[in-house]
Amino acid sequence: MQLQAPWRIGVDVGGTFTDLVLADAAGAVHVTKVPSTPADPAEGVVNALGAAAKQAGMALPELMAGTSLMIHGSTVATNTLLEGKGAKVGMLTTAGFRDSLEIRRGIREDQWDHRAPFPPVLVPRYLRLPVTGRLDRNGNELEPVSGRDVEAAAAVFKDEGVEAVALCLLHSYADPKHEVAAASALRQHMNGLPITLSSDVAPVIGEYERGSTAVLNAYVGPRVVPYLAGLNRKLRQLGLRHSLLLVQSNGGAVSVDHVQDRPVQLLLSGPAAGVGALNYYRQTAGTDDFVSMEIGGTSCDVALMSKGDVAVTDQILVGGYHAAIPAIEIHTVGAGGGTIAGVDGAGMLFAGPRGAGAVPGPACYGRGNAEPTVTDAQLVLGRLRPGPYAGGAVNLDDGLAREAIETKVARPLGLTIERAAAGIIRLLEQNLLHAVERMSIERGYDPRRFTLVAAGGAGPMHGAAVARALGSRRCYVPRLAGAFCALGMLNTDVRQDFLRVHFADLDRADRSALEDRFAALEREAGAAMDAEGFGGERARLVRSLDLRYLGQQYAIRIELASGFEPMAIRRRFEEEHDRMFGHIQPQGTIEVTALRLAAIGAVERLRPAAPPAAPPPRPVARRPVWQDEASGWVETPVFAGADLAPSHRLAGPLVVEELTTTVLAGPGDTLAVDASGNFDIAVGAA
Amino acid sequence: MTALDPVQLALTQKRLDHIARQMGWVMTRTARSPIFNQSHDFSCFIASPDGTLVSQADGIPIHTGGGGFSVRAILKAFAGRIEDGDVFLLNDPYVAGGNHLPDWVIARPVFVEGRLAGFACNRAHQSDIGGGAAGTYNSAATEIFHEGIRLPVLKLIERGALRDDLWQLLMINSRTPELLDGDLRAMIGSTRIGADRIAALVREAGVETGLALYEGILAHADRRFRAALATLPPGRYEGSDMTDNDCFEKKDTVIRVALTLDDNGLHVDFTGTDPQMRGFKNSSLANTYSAVYMALASFFEPDLPRNEGTFRSVRITAPEGSVINARPPAPMTMCTVFVAHEIVHAIWKALAKADPTRACAGWGKTIHNITSGLGSDGQRFVMYHWNAMMAGGAVPGRDGLNQIGLLIALGGLVVPNVEVYEQLYPTLIRRHEFRTDGGGLGEFRGGTGVEYEADMQVACDWTFRGEGLGYPTGYGVAGGGFGAAGRMSVETAEGRHIEAPQYGLAQFGPATIHASSPGGGGLGHPFDRAAEFVRRDVRDGVVSLESARRDYGVVLAGPRFEIDAQATAAARQQRSSA
Repeated sequence: MQLQAPWRIGVDVGGTFTDLVLADAAGAVHVTKVPSTPADPAEGVVNALGAAAKQAGMALPELMAGTSLMIHGSTVATNTLLEGKGAKVGMLTTAGFRDSLEIRRGIREDQWDHRAPFPPVLVPRYLRLPVTGRLDRNGNELEPVSGRDVEAAAAVFKDEGVEAVALCLLHSYADPKHEVAAASALRQHMNGLPITLSSDVAPVIGEYERGSTAVLNAYVGPRVVPYLAGLNRKLRQLGLRHSLLLVQSNGGAVSVDHVQDRPVQLLLSGPAAGVGALNYYRQTAGTDDFVSMEIGGTSCDVALMSKGDVAVTDQILVGGYHAAIPAIEIHTVGAGGGTIAGVDGAGMLFAGPRGAGAVPGPACYGRGNAEPTVTDAQLVLGRLRPGPYAGGAVNLDDGLAREAIETKVARPLGLTIERAAAGIIRLLEQNLLHAVERMSIERGYDPRRFTLVAAGGAGPMHGAAVARALGSRRCYVPRLAGAFCALGMLNTDVRQDFLRVHFADLDRADRSALEDRFAALEREAGAAMDAEGFGGERARLVRSLDLRYLGQQYAIRIELASGFEPMAIRRRFEEEHDRMFGHIQPQGTIEVTALRLAAIGAVERLRPAAPPAAPPPRPVARRPVWQDEASGWVETPVFAGADLAPSHRLAGPLVVEELTTTVLAGPGDTLAVDASGNFDIAVGAA
Repeated sequence: MTALDPVQLALTQKRLDHIARQMGWVMTRTARSPIFNQSHDFSCFIASPDGTLVSQADGIPIHTGGGGFSVRAILKAFAGRIEDGDVFLLNDPYVAGGNHLPDWVIARPVFVEGRLAGFACNRAHQSDIGGGAAGTYNSAATEIFHEGIRLPVLKLIERGALRDDLWQLLMINSRTPELLDGDLRAMIGSTRIGADRIAALVREAGVETGLALYEGILAHADRRFRAALATLPPGRYEGSDMTDNDCFEKKDTVIRVALTLDDNGLHVDFTGTDPQMRGFKNSSLANTYSAVYMALASFFEPDLPRNEGTFRSVRITAPEGSVINARPPAPMTMCTVFVAHEIVHAIWKALAKADPTRACAGWGKTIHNITSGLGSDGQRFVMYHWNAMMAGGAVPGRDGLNQIGLLIALGGLVVPNVEVYEQLYPTLIRRHEFRTDGGGLGEFRGGTGVEYEADMQVACDWTFRGEGLGYPTGYGVAGGGFGAAGRMSVETAEGRHIEAPQYGLAQFGPATIHASSPGGGGLGHPFDRAAEFVRRDVRDGVVSLESARRDYGVVLAGPRFEIDAQATAAARQQRSSA
């Protein structure tokens, strides 16, 4: 391949593969996949770069020198947490309130599973130490911080070999002065230790969520920060001109230098990059309304974009731990190619949520798993062909797949192998449908007006079928479905979110107080963006308010398009409330609960390339594929992805074999290749 | 009947659960009262044409068994007069299959091709239904008439037309008609969505097949639970639990249960349970069935199907006139908490005898009171002191949770943030942290409960609902001990000290509440607790050094509480030879 400088590189480190996507100045996109190296993920990153350089026929320093932007989605924070390998953390809390971290507000994921233990508390009680001192709800001091308490705590922390400290004092969202004072006292006694202030990483109201976020930050920091700094150093030594950027949970990027104080922002680093991908495909698909399903081996991530805005949340749960950080809202279900199917002890067919993982993988991999998976069912139904895939990384054995389905599903249920396999797929696709409905209907959106994006290695096999069941007429399959997030990274803006808790009656709010607070946030944001290289005009600042009717618990975020116009704000709040909750309270008191500011440094949009035209494609094969109950086996044309070029239109049923995925279109569907080479499926009626 | 397609059966089971959840989303999104979108005190369910509950994927545990009662009451009251477009409403526990008066049921029959094809239903706790106290809980009630409006089975909507006269009757009987209006409409809306989806499902399958699929789903659940029962040895197992008051005075009321497990299934027999009481903790039959189902389901796998097929093998004997099946006009609003809690405890104790490896120790009973007064904005506030919630009991392999929501919701009620409470109410909370030595002793100890202190900065009406005060309530199993009893007192600004009653009403000026919430029960002998766990508890300050030595036989020494292995072995030896 011949690259046109400069280019961008995105690297997504997954559990099995490290994906590298490179887009050059002409918009040509190249994908490189290498095995991940869990012991030292940086090695996988460098290997991927080496492989990409080799593909491009250049030396690694040359590749690095021509790179204008390098973005990384790193699971290092997530893995540190999930594997329990974080730092030994000490915590300072307001005296009398040592235990909110361990009480966790009593929130458990499955109410019925009352025997399940909580994940281990990250700071044991003997390292959660009380500090006398109290602010009231407005941040006024009732009692000063006790320096003596801090000193006593510092002695314990030193004695116990604590590696990082988190502070969470009551009402610090209203005024951080007590946390600041305690931290400065602490520094006098233990120099050089990383200290996280809850008012800094998550200035939200609610001592549990704020404290938990501070603890997570302190817990992952000492593992994540040196790793990322080291990787950055190595890349710079290899010739990278700018600091490495990282994808944060909010879907925006941040430089390595600036994430050092807030590594907790990286907890959803990988999947959040999907936003960048949706923004990219807005240009090619010509719509701003998407529901995306990114389906891999074990799970499916569903996200939603309406009118160009992606659904966001203020809180995420990772491995049972709460983090109050702005994040892309992603609904994950256990449904993927490796999802295990079977029959329960009382004779009911199931598919998931358990998966076979990459190892041993589906039965047809021949690596010792005898339980049938979704991939085995696809193989039996002719939708996948037997033989080598992914350059020989796996080899699908039809006989093993048939045997697994025969013994574990078909025979126990008295079905033919085909019916059993088709049943597994139908059950899985119904789960996917329900996940998409939950993401949309639960939030007040009608999914039928959305384009369903089918991504991930396994997504394009289910996209058209799920869109049909959903009543959506359009399924969009990116050509690079298997590198969805890595591609998204190349199209990610630099972004930081800022928050100030502030209570006021919308109609009677003191405008100058609001303005002062927004101005303070803007100063903070301006300094941060300046440091990221987006000074002055180059940074876009977006103000929003969190609003609710008096007495409600949940707020709705309304962006301030122009100045502070209570009437206009009320109208937009009512529209949103009506859409989400089906009613409004005309004249109801609306309460402001927080001011938010998003600072966005727009990275130049990744422009899609226009692949050259090609003669009408001919099927590379025809094989019997089980379509559905009504049609049964149908002799179906199989196309090679490389033969499909813009303006091609093909009537289903058909199969397209791409390098990293297989696309299915059913009878009645029409697959068109759009100007940028992606697959646009017009879905036939059910 | 031809055999069902097993794939269609699996798809339908999941799809019905999805429909029930979808009804829940609509309810959460459209209801007016915070109790629905914050505390989820409602359940959406689907019943077959004969009134058997086929899915209740969305809902709180103590609603588990009530649904069928309501639908069967409708079928009885309106036999031959149920039509497309009708919507029914009911609440009465004596005549209409209700569980207690505040929970209103909206049920919408589903018709396909002119045939009754099921019911889409929603049971939800209303904000106010009249009666002797605002907010549905009248602790002074001695008759059901003191507890609010009683509704037999009513046709609220007749062939699509809302009965406006009836609607007005409902509204004038509530102190919060605006909330009631909004919430009822949300309930009606959620059943419409549910009914549409159920109709589509049955139409696609064909009516005959659709009804056969219901039966297939119930039969599968029946097999699942029989398989679960088969893991217990046949026999007769007894259990009991009690309350020490009738809401007015100290008076023990004991719930006695005998479980008999044989080839026919499980017989749950409450013969010998004490008579109904004066106060409002008497249980309705629907609530008793729910509590039994909840106790059974929570003892086995958490993913047992939530439909009535699961309990086909269970037969319940509930003597009339006893506290678990009271005769009218006994009051019963409190029963979904107490005596439901005691019923669950009694059954768990009996099950523990059948299989000690899955025993559950008891959860503490609630003590949280309610204060109400005028805020600085002149508006009335009602503050539930949920930060004083109790602890859970131990289970094999895990200590009890140190603070957790109500047992009858299996903990599904969230503990508020102190900061949020201080923003909402004129209060300054001074303490919210674990008790020392509050947890029941055991190899796995009970949850500790919490110490809770809060200043009420204005004059308030105080409502006490402290079932867990003054007597230990979280029982221990298999050698484990009771969790500590709850305590509560009030100190007024003038220095008056009042010991809180279990039930009652009072008014005080600015005052401070001091509470120690009840601990959970322990499991197994405390001498079998790993010494390292005892050491951790002592370091954490949740078990005292004295208790470690005296109760756990673990001797710790030095500033880091190192285990003195020899002294510990000697102490533990002593106890076992005693």
